[in-house]
Amino acid sequence: MANIVLEGVTKVYGQDILAVDNIDLEIREGEFMVLLGPSGCGKSTTLRMIAGLEEVTSGNLKINGEIVNDVDPADRDLAVVFQNYALYPHMTVERNLAFGLKLRKTPQEVIDRRIRDTTTMLGIDNLLDRRPSELSGGQQQRVALGRALVRDPEAFLLDEPLSNLDAKLRAAMRTELIKIHRMLGKTVVHVTHDQVEAMTMGERICIMREGRIIQVGPPLDVYRHPADSFVAGFLASPPMNLLEGKLAGHHGVNEVDLSAISLPVPRHRRAPLRRHAGSEVVVGIRPEDVHTEEPAEGVHRRVDITVVAVEVLGPEVILVADLGSGQEISVRQGPTFEAVAGARIPLYIDLEQIHFFEAGSGLAILHGGASGPVRPELGSYLKEGGPEAPA
Amino acid sequence: MSVATADGLTLAGRDRRFGLLLTAPGLLSLLIVITFPLFFTLYTSVHDYTLLTPNYDTFVGTENYQEALDEEYLPGSLWVTTKFVLASIVIEFIIGFAVALSLHATRRFGSIYYLILLAPLLINPVVVGLLWRMLLHSELGIVNYTIGLVGISPVSWLGDADVAFWTVVLTDIWHQVSFMAILLVAGLAALPREPYEAARMDGASTIRCFIHITLPLMRPVIAVAILLRLIFAIKTFDIIFIMTKGGPGTATDLISYYIYRAAFFGLDVGRASAMAAGLLVIILALTAYLYRYMNSLK
Amino acid sequence: MRLFLSVVAALALAVSAAQAQTIRILMETVPDTRYIQELLPQFEAETGIEVEIEAISYIDMHSKLVPQLIAPEGSYDLIVVDFYWVGEFTKAGWLMPLDDLVERDGVDVDVYVPKLMDLVGRVNGVLYMLPFYNYSMALIYRQDLLDDADEQAAFQEAYGMELRVPQTWDEYWKQVEFFTRDTDGDGNRDLYGTVIQGQRGDCISMQWANYLYSQGGLYHDENWNPLLDSPEAIRAMEYYREAVEKYSPAGSEAYCFDEAFNVMAQGRAYSFVTFNILYAGFEDPESSEVAGKVGITPNPGGGLNGGWGWAIPNSSPNKEAAWTFMKWAESAAVAKERAMLGGAPTQAQIFTDSDVVAARPYYPILGEILAGTKDFPVFTYTTEFVEQVGLELNLAATGEKPVAEAMAAAQEKLHALLVKDGKIEE
Repeated sequence: MANIVLEGVTKVYGQDILAVDNIDLEIREGEFMVLLGPSGCGKSTTLRMIAGLEEVTSGNLKINGEIVNDVDPADRDLAVVFQNYALYPHMTVERNLAFGLKLRKTPQEVIDRRIRDTTTMLGIDNLLDRRPSELSGGQQQRVALGRALVRDPEAFLLDEPLSNLDAKLRAAMRTELIKIHRMLGKTVVHVTHDQVEAMTMGERICIMREGRIIQVGPPLDVYRHPADSFVAGFLASPPMNLLEGKLAGHHGVNEVDLSAISLPVPRHRRAPLRRHAGSEVVVGIRPEDVHTEEPAEGVHRRVDITVVAVEVLGPEVILVADLGSGQEISVRQGPTFEAVAGARIPLYIDLEQIHFFEAGSGLAILHGGASGPVRPELGSYLKEGGPEAPA
Repeated sequence: MSVATADGLTLAGRDRRFGLLLTAPGLLSLLIVITFPLFFTLYTSVHDYTLLTPNYDTFVGTENYQEALDEEYLPGSLWVTTKFVLASIVIEFIIGFAVALSLHATRRFGSIYYLILLAPLLINPVVVGLLWRMLLHSELGIVNYTIGLVGISPVSWLGDADVAFWTVVLTDIWHQVSFMAILLVAGLAALPREPYEAARMDGASTIRCFIHITLPLMRPVIAVAILLRLIFAIKTFDIIFIMTKGGPGTATDLISYYIYRAAFFGLDVGRASAMAAGLLVIILALTAYLYRYMNSLK
Repeated sequence: MRLFLSVVAALALAVSAAQAQTIRILMETVPDTRYIQELLPQFEAETGIEVEIEAISYIDMHSKLVPQLIAPEGSYDLIVVDFYWVGEFTKAGWLMPLDDLVERDGVDVDVYVPKLMDLVGRVNGVLYMLPFYNYSMALIYRQDLLDDADEQAAFQEAYGMELRVPQTWDEYWKQVEFFTRDTDGDGNRDLYGTVIQGQRGDCISMQWANYLYSQGGLYHDENWNPLLDSPEAIRAMEYYREAVEKYSPAGSEAYCFDEAFNVMAQGRAYSFVTFNILYAGFEDPESSEVAGKVGITPNPGGGLNGGWGWAIPNSSPNKEAAWTFMKWAESAAVAKERAMLGGAPTQAQIFTDSDVVAARPYYPILGEILAGTKDFPVFTYTTEFVEQVGLELNLAATGEKPVAEAMAAAQEKLHALLVKDGKIEE
């Protein structure tokens, strides 16, 4: 089991293409870490640097405390599962699984045992004599996973391994991967652009953007306390509604003006906003924090809106509403909700749950709910990550 | 559900008919262009058609084929052709692959290398033959002069039967090897990167990567490259015609030049057609075999 | 109205004349073609006929000609015919007889050297061609070496005879042996007694013919019975093989005349049995290191006769204009001008014409050479014969087949082809 630490790691391609920009990250022993971000954010490059497939331009990469920047990939004792499976095309499943072990001079009986155990676990023990071209995508995926598992490495590096599978298979594999991780307790670094995967699988999520780490933390923590509007807009489906607004009213913090409507800021929430009094801000409202009937508890503001669309998903219904000035918000509703496009209905926005972000940088000013103001030690929070960061 | 239309055809059927209508002229002309010379050759091969009596008045059945088979030097020519084809393809494949691998790994000046590599291919084979005949002149050529500088005695490149065969093979390779290299480079460029990375993670050496990943993944491209070169090599004519006229003796008497002589020196187009038809059967058989092999890779 | 009609008629005539008056000629890229091209403006000015000459290399000519000759209307009005093809072309009936035109226009065909008339003029008494130029074969040698006093003394000492322009084959062969040597003492021979043009096919066939004649051999007797396994023919082949082995550069069994020419032109050979038309090249400092040092003389025992003739194919679209051109090219004045430029004459009086001799003193010798030549067998399958015999000769020259065996095979091949052509009985 491995503890993987990145210290100021930077990757520059060619002369000046900065792929990964001075990142610090610790992946703890046995942890399931998800690197999440849109394509081109540097997450795959980060994973490939850990694997040794890309050289580290500057900074240190440590595995179990040792700097491994110049260690051959084969000697890092890590296994990679690739997006396109990357099976050896002319070898049978059995030989694919045995290849790495044979190169490591593993005794044949050990190889046989491991292959038997692994293939039984993955349910591919009936495929040993097949070639990759004779397997379905899902089967190839399992073989690719099996090839990593038989090696019994220090850590697993998964590079978007589920993205080529259909939705149903992907869900099944998610569960399976979690199960395997729990069983083996090995360190896993999983790269994905799918926030559902990240939320469901990761013990911690590391969100990246443009070569930098934006935020690291357990899924729910990141979800509740997005470090900036990018993270807020990236997680969950539909994601947080982000609306342009301006702090206004008495002292410049008593209300936030969203052009068509204006929302009061509850008195106890105003303090963190004072520094931004009268400024442009980005207002974040989660779809589940808007209701069509006034809840019994809490502080809500009624706004009358026009229904733009109603998306019936089954277990829930997404209502897309026009606040009046062209600003639209998505609202999550129960399965029984009904409305017709063009109808005017009232909405109740939970004023306690509104998030505030700086207009330019997008950095969080105030999170919704009980969490209150964003900690001033935001910088160290980002680096350290985790719930045990100072409160 | 199929919807029947006024003319009793389903919509899909009408679509098919319309498609056929659109492609018919193309298919038809292709068919004519390909099959006409073919049948013309076969038809000629069973007639006593000579340049002196260019008509189909005398049907001779398999006589032309019999005559061709009885010819003293035909087996030798076939054997020389076989050796030539095998030697040039094997060597071209090895050199071509080596060049392709190094070109593939080259990051800088790639286009310059391509240009240099392609240059021989762009030269007319007649010019290639004349050029090398001049360079390889046993007494005055620059090649013998150069090797003389390092103390190697002059080589009779085209005068010695054994050497001349290899001279012709190497000239052909010089001319054609880039064709193989370029096809293989294209194949290499299309290979996925990930299996190599998987192999790196597994700790496989470069040679193992080549054997276990590159070769198997390249097999369809290799098959196509070899098939094309095979067909071209069997048809090799110009460099023989220019450089050796099939000599010394029969050392470089390739079948295409042999057939050419039957037609234009022997004036016997019927017999030449019979030999051409035989050659076609051989090429078709080889092509069919390689084609099936290629399909089996899918 | 009448005026109008006649104007229209005149215009129509002029137009059709303009259209008809272009002739196309297929020729080989050789010096004699170039001389014609140089003189063309004269003809075009005199006649108003435009001439397009398509000059291509020999190797492409036959395969380019045949389809045009088979066609009812070909694309060439006038062609030139190598003596190889005479039997084939006339047998196939592709050439138009010229006797009527000669008679109509009073052209004197007796000006031609009779040998050439027989080779590329008349076939079985019918005139198909006018001889264009001759490439009879001769012995080209280094006059400067023969004139060298030291060489003369050394030769006298070694062979007990005078060193002079060889009169007999035996004398020539001694010189060949004598001059084959390593002049700079580096262990490699760098002067060769002779140069072989031994490439399989017509290169060896042409050169070897001179060896055959030198031994008094012939291809066939007067009744077309082949003589290639005769003692003379075998002896000729033995000499040829000896030359390849001892007196000619290694690798010359793959030379054609151009490669052999260069060896001689670089001063690396004493002699070269080859086409007389190459002599001008040796005398040209542009292409030769030995300009001014070479002489030309008949091959001892006789050389091979060779030549090209003008012919009008039956498929010619414009026979009358072609004939006009042929008459012009072969007129005494133009024939002389061509010779002055370096052309190889076919008309007897040109060899000794005083202007020509003044410009090119060796032309009388060319006349002698031509007079002493012998003819290659010209029959329907000459081209194939050249190929088949050329292969056997080459096999013997390279030592791959014993001489006697190769000559027996050559005899058999010639026999079979003559039978096929109906010249002799089975």
